[in-house]
Amino acid sequence: MPLIGRLTVAVASGKGGTGKTLVATNLAVAAARSGSPVALVDCDADAPNDALFLAPEAPQVSAVDVPLPVVDEGACTLCGACRAQCAYGAIRILGGKVMVFPEMCHNCGACVKVCRPGALREEPRRVGEVEWGRVSGGFAGPAGIDVITGRLDIGEVKTPTVIRAARKRAEVLGRSLTVLDSPPGVACAAVAAMRGADVLVLVTEPTPFGLHDLELAVDLGREMDIPLGIVVNRDTGASSEVDTYAAREGIPVLARIPFDRRVAEVYASGGLVIDEHPDGAHWFDELWGAVRALAGEEA
Amino acid sequence: MQRIVFASGKGGTGKTTLTALTARLLADTGERLALADCDVEAANLPIALRAEVVSSEPFTGGSKAVIDAGACRGCGACASACRFDALGPSEGYYRTRTYEVDPWACEGCAACVSACPYGAITMVESQAGEVMAAESGPGPMVFGRLAPGEDLSGKLVTEVRRRADGIAGERGIERMLIDGPPGVGCPAIAAITGTDLVVGVTEPTLSGEHDLMRLVTLARRFKISVAVVLNKADLSERGAQRLRERIASEGLELIGEIPYDPAVAVMPERLARGELTAYPEGPGMDAIRGVVASLAGRRGVTG
Repeated sequence: MPLIGRLTVAVASGKGGTGKTLVATNLAVAAARSGSPVALVDCDADAPNDALFLAPEAPQVSAVDVPLPVVDEGACTLCGACRAQCAYGAIRILGGKVMVFPEMCHNCGACVKVCRPGALREEPRRVGEVEWGRVSGGFAGPAGIDVITGRLDIGEVKTPTVIRAARKRAEVLGRSLTVLDSPPGVACAAVAAMRGADVLVLVTEPTPFGLHDLELAVDLGREMDIPLGIVVNRDTGASSEVDTYAAREGIPVLARIPFDRRVAEVYASGGLVIDEHPDGAHWFDELWGAVRALAGEEA
Repeated sequence: MQRIVFASGKGGTGKTTLTALTARLLADTGERLALADCDVEAANLPIALRAEVVSSEPFTGGSKAVIDAGACRGCGACASACRFDALGPSEGYYRTRTYEVDPWACEGCAACVSACPYGAITMVESQAGEVMAAESGPGPMVFGRLAPGEDLSGKLVTEVRRRADGIAGERGIERMLIDGPPGVGCPAIAAITGTDLVVGVTEPTLSGEHDLMRLVTLARRFKISVAVVLNKADLSERGAQRLRERIASEGLELIGEIPYDPAVAVMPERLARGELTAYPEGPGMDAIRGVVASLAGRRGVTG
């Protein structure tokens, strides 16, 4: 059954390498096959990998720019108002010149507004790119998947800006399901990816490390007030502290993907587990059903 | 002091496991190490080495806008000044005529403070995290814990590094192992700056290769040499071969291939539970010893 209305699902985790990309890509395929047009947004702008698995045709690219203040030294009176205004210490006065440090600047524009002589203006500075393309027919089914990738330029630090630009591209497309493959961690980049999602899918592994980082991600999800559930990846079948924790906290386990070398091998070669593992379709159809239930879609 | 940082680009390739085992094996030879966990969003090295926290300090730095609802007239000048969509009409605006701040979106620039004609907005400092000093078997450790959703992870990493440098200096420790964060952004840059060697821990997957190359580009930008460890090397023979060729063609140094070995895979977990009494000897452990020997033999000092 295709979705009625719109749904945004963020796939996240505190710990890196728990299987976010595995879950996000295969979930997107399961949903598209059930008839819902999907936009898959790779928000792991530091290490984006979704497009390696879904290989959209003829992708387009556009640059992500930020407005960076530039000083007109002829007009500058060295009054220091810009430096006093900057909350990030990105403006200094050195050797009789106002200097702007691009990697510290948050591009808020506050300095420009307080500059009375009008000596500051803003110029675009590239920090990354958004790439987008579509797969339809074949493994993605007729509903198709738009794959949108945010990619930070190496050496740049504006990961959240690139994520927001990628999400904006997805909003323009207006697909019924948006899957947000989030970066690891619980900082501003994770928030930029998860903000406004209807459902949060937290991927974890049943180890003390997985649990520790899952708890941090749950705290963040709850503070952001997003309904959440867990996918236990590399599940050994034995009950773990993750299960104990989920039961105690009343967090639903949406799916379990077993500890299976074949899953790792399919993933390693860039394949889709939903197609190349005998149980893959079962796991991800079930997950898609559980996500819809968590979203309260039937209500 | 020599500083070695374990990084990967991609998460979950085995950075923490390798950092913890390198620390243990070097400590077995009698060496004292300083340790820094620079993944302040998910610090796992203290768990793997059963570190005991001896002190913790709050980490502040940022602030967020707060609107005094009594003074706010709901004109919206703040929202026009804000580039982060952090200000908007409050729920029930038609009754209250006030604006409110979305603290998740606020980056603390204070542009709204000067824009507000009624002086209704002030900046309030927020605690962005903590820095912990701990003791572990191989030596003193510093790690951080970022408050959820904060945008100061790079600064917190820098603070962890500064504290770790201080403790290492006081105790005359000559080598520091740094467990790096995933990615190549702000915290990764803060973790690798000023180190002597980046150990790129990767796996023979398409993602592992792709993300390793992003890390290598970053390290080259900072003129830091990279030594690669291929973890779970036998997971995909094709993937491993592709990576070996890539490593060779990029002129990188491959210092070890660790086969996938269930006994090794559960080692960090057993370390964390205090259950590891003897190393699980076998091909995985042999390979790790080889990597550690290669690292131990390196000299390189940045002071």
